[in-house]
Amino acid sequence: MVRYVIMRLFGIAAILVVMSVLVFAITQVMPGNVAHILAGQFADDATILAIEHKLGLDAPAYVQYWRWAGGVLSGDLGNSLIMERPVGPLIWEAFKSSALLASIAFVMVAFFGIVLGVLAAIRQNRFTDHAVSVFSYVGVSVPEFFWAIVAIIVFARYLEWLPSGGAGNISQGFWPWASHLVLPSLTLTFTLIAHVSRLTRSSMIETLRSNYVRNARAKGLPEGVIIRRHALRNALLPTITVLAIDVGWLLGNIVVVEAVFSYPGIGRLLLFAIERHDLPLIQAGILLIAGVYCFANLIADLLYAYFNPKIRYGHVES
Amino acid sequence: MKKRLIGALGAAAISMTALMAPAMADGNLRVAIPSNLNTLDAAKTKLGEEYIMNFLIFSGLTEVDGKGSVKPDLAESWTKSDDQKTWTFKLRPGVKFHDGSPLEAEDVKATIERIKDKATGSTARVNFDLVESIETPDKETIVFKLKIPYSGFAELFGDRQVRIMKRDEFDTVATHPIGTGPFMFKSFTPGDRVELVKNPDYYIKGEPKLDAVTFRIMPESAAQIAALETGDIDLVWSLPLESIDQMKKNPDVTVDATPTSTWDGLIMNAAKKPFDDARVRKAVLMALDKPALVEVALYGQGTPTHTMIPPSHPYYNKDIPISPPDVEGAKKLLAEAGFPDGFETTLYVPVGRPTRERLGIAAKEFLAPVGIKVDIQRVPWDKFVKEIEGKAAFYTDGFFSRPTIDTSIYPFFHSTGSWNTQLWNYNNPAIDKVLDDARAAKTEEERAALYKQFQALAEETPAGAIPYVLNHVNAYRKNVKGFASSPMMWLDLRETTVQ
Repeated sequence: MVRYVIMRLFGIAAILVVMSVLVFAITQVMPGNVAHILAGQFADDATILAIEHKLGLDAPAYVQYWRWAGGVLSGDLGNSLIMERPVGPLIWEAFKSSALLASIAFVMVAFFGIVLGVLAAIRQNRFTDHAVSVFSYVGVSVPEFFWAIVAIIVFARYLEWLPSGGAGNISQGFWPWASHLVLPSLTLTFTLIAHVSRLTRSSMIETLRSNYVRNARAKGLPEGVIIRRHALRNALLPTITVLAIDVGWLLGNIVVVEAVFSYPGIGRLLLFAIERHDLPLIQAGILLIAGVYCFANLIADLLYAYFNPKIRYGHVES
Repeated sequence: MKKRLIGALGAAAISMTALMAPAMADGNLRVAIPSNLNTLDAAKTKLGEEYIMNFLIFSGLTEVDGKGSVKPDLAESWTKSDDQKTWTFKLRPGVKFHDGSPLEAEDVKATIERIKDKATGSTARVNFDLVESIETPDKETIVFKLKIPYSGFAELFGDRQVRIMKRDEFDTVATHPIGTGPFMFKSFTPGDRVELVKNPDYYIKGEPKLDAVTFRIMPESAAQIAALETGDIDLVWSLPLESIDQMKKNPDVTVDATPTSTWDGLIMNAAKKPFDDARVRKAVLMALDKPALVEVALYGQGTPTHTMIPPSHPYYNKDIPISPPDVEGAKKLLAEAGFPDGFETTLYVPVGRPTRERLGIAAKEFLAPVGIKVDIQRVPWDKFVKEIEGKAAFYTDGFFSRPTIDTSIYPFFHSTGSWNTQLWNYNNPAIDKVLDDARAAKTEEERAALYKQFQALAEETPAGAIPYVLNHVNAYRKNVKGFASSPMMWLDLRETTVQ
């Protein structure tokens, strides 16, 4: 197991190196450059060249990459070319905000997704099942920016219950801080919950039809015990994998949700950086997101093994 | 369960209202702006949102007021030599930077020299190319020697990027600006907010009246409007034009619009066929219905004009009518230019600049009756800047108002003008002469007459079509007092209070 984890960590490191090269290459071929943006629309060539020289952008691409990579290896993520401030604290502050939002959404997605999925399965083809299905299909088929705008109009503008956007400050008290998280996290939850509930439902139905469950029923075990102790544990295995994939979805969707709710997270910072070709900021942001995604998958795999003792990485028991 | 839920939500609403109440009473104005800031270094700023900070944190040597007139700011007075080539500014005594250090002539010299340095990348650099040398005979005197006579030189110091900075703080100004303006920088959380606090030592006694200003960065207009309506913010800077009607219906909100000299235009590149023929450009201009373009592109929030001189400006030439579309006249001109059946062309419009997109779409409709068949291509902004601007034959573009009439016009219309040579390659010796004469004019009357003559010449032989100037629109809650929108699109909050 330890060997497996170490191998995976090496794998993640390799993925991040490849990602950094890819992102660097993409920024090289994107139209426009940061010197042009800094110099303004109608700057003459001499001005652009002067800025490029100042920022080291006139060096060959491999030299620029190596300078950046060397800095990262020594713990220096560089300065934002546009904002002229260190990338590390910028990324960290934004990441903390996003991580908080994503964590709340993830917990809600996992909880409600599993609960709704199990409810739909044990009441298959009845009203609850149909209601969960409709809810799931609506959630998954309507884009999150639509829900975000609806939420702002209903809860912020008409009902005036919750702020329309931004981030709260904990120094102003718990509720002013927490209230800013409600609408964005609900929006994220609503769009992702469908995946989890649909999968939990089908997995649960399959498990409930299995022989060992039938056997348990024949033994006269109460239905609640059968569901909790026997069916759910096995039915959740594919759900764990989907939850890990949802971490990726969450990171993608959070960009849109942060933009609509003016939430100062990593998604908005990354959009800002991409629009302005701010390479150190783009690299740090994308690598961070890629790293989170890789680690989420690793954790999912480990949890999978934990929940299903038949699976042991390195070998599979027959 | 339902009652408990409603109860909990109600309690939450009450506690929120209670928490918001003191924020409104303590003189902290909360302003929504749509875009994140690139920098707080005034010399390098290029966004409207950044210009707001320039004005609040820093001061200029001079200030251009709401009517376009120049008045003292950090410079208490100035004199010019008879040949208008030597300008001497006297600093206001006793002005301090936010860190308590005194403002000195060397700070002004270093600030302007930094703007003139190409590596700084300041868009104001082009305005100071005419400066030959800067001298500081004492701590309160700055002498500028110019290469050419220039009557509007004092006005250049009211420009957005020309804010006076501390000479030994240039390296940190982008992240921690220290100026002499009415507000001091407190914090900037990228993507979220900028916080400013009152400068207690501001040189105008009794100003600013606010204790603090908080700018919330809110890109989504629905979120801005919801926040304004619920009192979560007090003022929306540059209200999206499509929201104006809705905001006007709200009794708690004031919508305040002011004319600017910010303009959109149909750029016709005279270096490219068929726009190298002035008759073709004139025919395009004749086909347009300017008042209709104001309605379509700006939801009525603008004014038809001849050039970028707005009808609200004293130099505007009222003798030239805003003509209705003349389809027959345009067809005749096109035929004379060798296009009796019109021609086909591509009009490029930048994505994400909604007024310019709408202008392009509306122009297509007006050009069809004269035989000009327009294919509209929407181009992402990055690509637009790199591949279209200054290179394509026909596109929509737009520019912010500038502090002086000369800096608004000269770079665009003079054959050597920095923007002209990269935009539409216009060459009209009569206009060159008028603009050069206006720079050297000794009296206001002389200058006004020359600019009126310029408008007549530009209408007769157009460089492109500048159909309108835009209004700048802000919306604020009724508890905001002493605020007026600025034609320069920045926020002057010195007299503003929140009750």
